[in-house]
Amino acid sequence: MFFQFGGEDDVSDADAINELSPVAPPVTKKRNRTRSIGVLVVLLLAIVALLSQGILHSLNYFETVDQVLANRASFGTEIMRLEGVVKPGTIIRTSTGASFYVTGSKGEVFVKSHGTPPQLFQANIPVVVVGHFTTKSSMNFDGTQIMVKHTASYIAKNPSRVKAPNGTVR
Amino acid sequence: MMKQLSQRLFGPLTLTAMGVNLVLGLWIVPPDKVQGELARLVYIHPSVAWVALYVSFGTAAISSALYLWKRTRSVVMDRVAHCAMEVSVVFIALTLITGSIWGRPAWGVWWVWDARLTSSAILGVLALGYLALRRANDDPQLRARRSAVFGVLIAINVPIIHFSVQWWKTLHQGATVFTSNRTLLIHGIQAWTLLISFIAFTMLFFWILRYRYRLEVLRENIAGASLEEALSARRREGAQS
Repeated sequence: MFFQFGGEDDVSDADAINELSPVAPPVTKKRNRTRSIGVLVVLLLAIVALLSQGILHSLNYFETVDQVLANRASFGTEIMRLEGVVKPGTIIRTSTGASFYVTGSKGEVFVKSHGTPPQLFQANIPVVVVGHFTTKSSMNFDGTQIMVKHTASYIAKNPSRVKAPNGTVR
Repeated sequence: MMKQLSQRLFGPLTLTAMGVNLVLGLWIVPPDKVQGELARLVYIHPSVAWVALYVSFGTAAISSALYLWKRTRSVVMDRVAHCAMEVSVVFIALTLITGSIWGRPAWGVWWVWDARLTSSAILGVLALGYLALRRANDDPQLRARRSAVFGVLIAINVPIIHFSVQWWKTLHQGATVFTSNRTLLIHGIQAWTLLISFIAFTMLFFWILRYRYRLEVLRENIAGASLEEALSARRREGAQS
């Protein structure tokens, strides 16, 4: 890399063969800079592409039931992601999907969703439903996809094996 | 003597820790109340992500910073940063893969463009960019300096990933261990197994890093030896003619 060695074809006389002292390194600075800039440009484009995906789908991934109820008019019938907790006793599974209520602290929204719900879908679990309200003032939400947003808490199925920090059995 | 012994024992200890984690996580720990058997991925995915984000990327960033600091500048720091970033790429990929495997049955989707997942994907691209930047520079000193600056700069994405679940609304769950109010959201044997998984994967990282570092030293030695050999050959040719 730092030494240039001529091939047999490059050598025309014995002096040149005996001249084995290192020669000046080739001019690589410009090439290095060009390559580095190339890498950074490609990198920047990749990040912009990823960010645009994130921003297109919005950094805040969903609207909560409370946010929607507080500002219902602004959402109209546009496609959105609605987050709330599945109200116990309201799940009705059909051949085409499921209907249920999602609740917040200030109210609830009726959801009729098409498609098979995820494996973890159940009462009292937070869900994010992709869809839209059926009319501009309606509180009925027509869903096309249900995603389960499970909590960060883990509790073992066998309650006698796990104790909370205060000693109570969870 | 002690150093040699600890070096020899580190590999078997790592494998033992990984084995204990596997046995506990797959068979001994009971299933989760909500997630059932799916929760067994908690003994793999978070610890892999821990290594990807904090341990390996952190090692690369700190080594880069130490290279930039004149008092600690050495080829060792450059090598460590390079090797740690290579291992980090593997762990970032594993984080995204295991996350997807967990996400499909739990969330119902393989992937979403929420803040946590998007920023994690960006980290992978940045790590690959670091490695590409190294290959783009032939001059070792220039390469070391540029990649060290880049390594320090891209580390800013790590706190963004960490706090993304607090700053924005994400489908990805919030923190279970490093919660904002410092409350553990996992207890008993589940918590102990999670701790063992963190230790096991951290050990695995340093084990891989050690061998990757040795490989890098050998590669440099071979490159140096090849140069010496070529010089000797030319000298012999010169003497004969």
